[in-house]
Amino acid sequence: MKRLTKPLLQFAPLLLFIGVLLFFGCQSPRFLEVRNLINIIVQASSTGIVAIGMTFVLLTAGVDLSVGAIMFVAAAVAGKLAVSGRSMFLILPVMVSVGLCVGAFNAFFITRLRVVAFIVTLATLFIGRGLGLRITETRAMNLPDSFLMIGSFRWLSVPLPAWILAGLLLIAHLILTRTPFGRQIFAVGADAEMARKAGVRTKTILAGVYLVSGVCAAIAAMVSLGQLGAVSPKFGEQKEFAAIAAAVLGGTSLFGGRGNVFPGTLLGALLIQSIENGLVVMNANPYIYPMATSAVIFTAVVMESLRNRVRRSSAAVL
Amino acid sequence: MSTPLVQFSGITKSYFGVEVLKNISFTLPAGSMTGLVGENGAGKSTLMNILGGNVAVDSGSILLNGKTFVPSTPQESAEHGIAFIHQELNLFPNLTIAENLFLTRFPRATGSPFIDRQTIHRRTSELLAEIGLDVSPQRLVETLSAGERQLVEIAKALSMDARLIIFDEPTTSLSIRETDRLFALISRLRERKLTMIYISHALTDVLRLCDRIVVLRDGEIAGSGRADEFTTERLVTLMVGRTMNQLFPTRSGKPTNQTLLEVSGLTQPDVLRNISFTLKRGEVLGLSGLMGAGRTELARILFGLDPCASGTVALEGKSLNRLSPRQLIQRGFAFLTENRRSEGLCMDASVADNLALTTLTEHGRTTVRWLSNESGRKAMQRIRGVVRLDPKASDNQAVRTLSGGNQQKVVLGKWLLIRPRVFILDEPTRGIDVGAKYEIYRLIYELADQGAGIFVISSEMEELMGLCDRILVMKAGELVDELPREEFDRERILRGALGGTVFQERSS
Amino acid sequence: MTVSSAASVESSSVALLRRLFLSNYLVLVLTVLFFISLAPFTPGFASANNLLGILAYLLPLFIAAIGLTAVMITGGIDLSVTSIIALTSVVGARIMTADGSGGSAAFGLCAMIGLGVALGAMNGLTVTVLRLPAFIVTLVSMMFLSGFAIWLTQSKNIDQLPQAFLQLGKHLPFALTITAVPGIAVHLLLRKTVFGRWLYAIGQNATTAHISGIPTRLITFAAYVLSGFCAALASVLLTGRLETASPVLGREILLDIIGATVIGGTSLFGGRGTIVGTFFGVLFLTVLDNALNLLNLSQFSITITKGSVILFAAVLDTMRQRIARQTV
Repeated sequence: MKRLTKPLLQFAPLLLFIGVLLFFGCQSPRFLEVRNLINIIVQASSTGIVAIGMTFVLLTAGVDLSVGAIMFVAAAVAGKLAVSGRSMFLILPVMVSVGLCVGAFNAFFITRLRVVAFIVTLATLFIGRGLGLRITETRAMNLPDSFLMIGSFRWLSVPLPAWILAGLLLIAHLILTRTPFGRQIFAVGADAEMARKAGVRTKTILAGVYLVSGVCAAIAAMVSLGQLGAVSPKFGEQKEFAAIAAAVLGGTSLFGGRGNVFPGTLLGALLIQSIENGLVVMNANPYIYPMATSAVIFTAVVMESLRNRVRRSSAAVL
Repeated sequence: MSTPLVQFSGITKSYFGVEVLKNISFTLPAGSMTGLVGENGAGKSTLMNILGGNVAVDSGSILLNGKTFVPSTPQESAEHGIAFIHQELNLFPNLTIAENLFLTRFPRATGSPFIDRQTIHRRTSELLAEIGLDVSPQRLVETLSAGERQLVEIAKALSMDARLIIFDEPTTSLSIRETDRLFALISRLRERKLTMIYISHALTDVLRLCDRIVVLRDGEIAGSGRADEFTTERLVTLMVGRTMNQLFPTRSGKPTNQTLLEVSGLTQPDVLRNISFTLKRGEVLGLSGLMGAGRTELARILFGLDPCASGTVALEGKSLNRLSPRQLIQRGFAFLTENRRSEGLCMDASVADNLALTTLTEHGRTTVRWLSNESGRKAMQRIRGVVRLDPKASDNQAVRTLSGGNQQKVVLGKWLLIRPRVFILDEPTRGIDVGAKYEIYRLIYELADQGAGIFVISSEMEELMGLCDRILVMKAGELVDELPREEFDRERILRGALGGTVFQERSS
Repeated sequence: MTVSSAASVESSSVALLRRLFLSNYLVLVLTVLFFISLAPFTPGFASANNLLGILAYLLPLFIAAIGLTAVMITGGIDLSVTSIIALTSVVGARIMTADGSGGSAAFGLCAMIGLGVALGAMNGLTVTVLRLPAFIVTLVSMMFLSGFAIWLTQSKNIDQLPQAFLQLGKHLPFALTITAVPGIAVHLLLRKTVFGRWLYAIGQNATTAHISGIPTRLITFAAYVLSGFCAALASVLLTGRLETASPVLGREILLDIIGATVIGGTSLFGGRGTIVGTFFGVLFLTVLDNALNLLNLSQFSITITKGSVILFAAVLDTMRQRIARQTV
């Protein structure tokens, strides 16, 4: 029994993902077509990108509730600049800088004034939303077609958003597993005080993850803009919850020190998206989507916690 | 004579107007091993914190290799070759051994942002071979035992080219065998002329390992000299500042023959195997064994914290199987855990709130359990007197601010308030100074004389042999021996705890 | 002489400031200062009508925050309060509009409260039995329940609710009673009873609490049930005030509720918090919101100000904690 459940739980998110694919595949043959699968990846890309940044933050036992607001501000700034005829080459770096600035704002309050991340980023969420509304003057804003290129440009018949997601995943994975910064993130997440005493520059690391999260949110905003072609006052709303859900689905712990972007967070983001996509393909009532998604997230979280319990009990025997 | 490695001269430090170090001067000759002993609060940790760059001195100076040394951060101290091996280990369980060793100075190939994994694995293997630990550098630290982690800590110190290694209570979480392994490594380090400071309450270890001993009392040096000038008795006298006739109080009562607790056939796969014993009314029963032999696990199962597959536990003939801690407490069970910070106390809560944890319902009247402050306060004052809690500690003070001994007295007080009939104590005197230990032993005897059954788990052999009426020996989840007081024999207990087979199992 | 007395005056005024800074009433003092300093410049700020308006706006926020305070004292969090508010609102409305008779108002009210308690119990069970982190559990139930409310109504509001029911939220004396009774009850529960002491102990150290014989699971469970119950009451008030049941009811006040609770001194790590403090926190946010509205600021300025104030309060609280610790 134990021999069977252990590996089953080990690959919980993957198994759940395969389960979801099979379920929808049986419901509608269109679902498993390559075109639709690529579609899922493309649709998941903005959530996935935000979730990559969120994983960095969660690994330090923090949380960043402001990512949706960062997306909104970055998109609003981009919209304003685009409408006044600025070129993409100016706009994209500006968006990234917006992400960096808000990330730096969060980092300042968290590392310098030592306020709890939850509250700081909650406040930034308000401030960012307010700023975005001000910039857009509370109206929806249509962007020039050049932006839609980001969403529709294809290379090897795979759209650009999927490539951006893949590229960022690769970079994030390498940073987390192969660089001093990445390994020190895990150390800070396991025990920040101990890391500080060991000589890890804890504040730099913490500031770093909020900057990463800000940049990821800004890039996600570019991808989203490319797909939607417009900034509405609801742009990026509730994205923070989707990103946390994707990271946690992928096995990242809310208590820090455990998790990975590949395959974890990627799987999480894809899982959430395939449910929504599957329901669309099935022509289900759109009001059912959030319920189905949250039910699957719940299942995955329960499996994850069971897995941790198995691991802990086997560690105790040692 | 060569210059000493470290020279303390006139070190003085006060906190909030209270002098914790008064004009401390002594030297650490290069290549020596110095034992630093003293009661908790004597100033040992402050002195080491000054050396470690955590605390600044008010006056006085430190010379390191003849040069003035004023570390302002832990890193600065580490860069000067000073390494600490703490009782709470400073390793990250979620990282590999190699990553732990190189965490703050990962080597990178020139121009590459990535860690040079080959190098760190190779160098880690070399270091692990040096300290005699045969595991892969890529093992996650969380999969290592406490003893193995201790060795990794030392490897880390060596990897930083430490010139001075400070051991702060290194054996508290080690089993007997792991302790032996640590001591063997320490003597090898001595041969390599490393300078070391050894801080411990285990005075026999200090006498055995060190060349020189410095005794601190109330922030002053109460005595210092070559180790062979000291005996345990003399050290204790110097530490407490009065002659202690004995380490253990005299026992007035005797165990009875009435069975209080009967445990039979307790079995939990991979944890316990067929554990059976009885605890008599008025008896102090000891449990000895290696770390990981299942001692704490047994205590947790008896207290209803962990599940148990089969077996029975009966209190005066009535079965206690499958009861929760709460129900057991109502039947007179108490459990002082080995980890008082994380399991015994709410550190940020007040003394009064901590004392009241177990008995709140007794002070609640009516169905909504409205608290009666008066009866609670009376009970609190009474118990403070019983455990002789430091009168300077106010009821509203957070327990975090108390010394280890006083914290443990609060935990004891919390349990004594329920008037326990079966009291399980897991390492009751860990990290506590001699004076407070004596007080705790006294309370244990008082309770036993009132007819309670006491079950003491301890890694300190002297403690068990001095305190108990009977000792059980546990090995790999089984009870392997039982010694009545007349037959107490250090070697027999050790033999039982180690067993012939364990060595092979463990080293493979 | 003079020098030393000047110094002592100075040190005593520093001590006074310090005491004020560390006092539990700091948030209240700040609110009053804010009110007094803005009143002359803000037309209608101090008018009876406006004050009553502030009160009406404050009540549902406060009642939801009461439950949240209890949950946060245990070291948990309840992100699903507003989803419970929305779902109980539309389910209650469905029942009450099924037939137009007066009796259905009472039945609908009971159903709303019953549903709130049940949803709170569901959160509580998941947290205590499956031992999942409260953040994730209530995040998922927030998503699920809100989705369920929208699906149930196909995203439409339900109007024409019985007058008897609407009066509960609209008629101030009723609303005041509905809020004050549980407010005082929970305050006394926390301050004076075994339950309250247990709640704090769990938040300070759940392991110690469990080993000390405190029924940790039961008490934690009860906190979530209380939160569900309070959310249902808040839903009654909000639905009544807006005269319509909406599947997105209260969505925008989730962060206000959490923010107010934290401003009121409840720790996100558990073990600390009071109902009085939470009341001050809610009062503070509501007065601020009201003033900003009266000053005719735009929506975005209000949002920005609110965010900054939450941040400011958090910085203040962090500093206070640090100073309070040093004093010991």
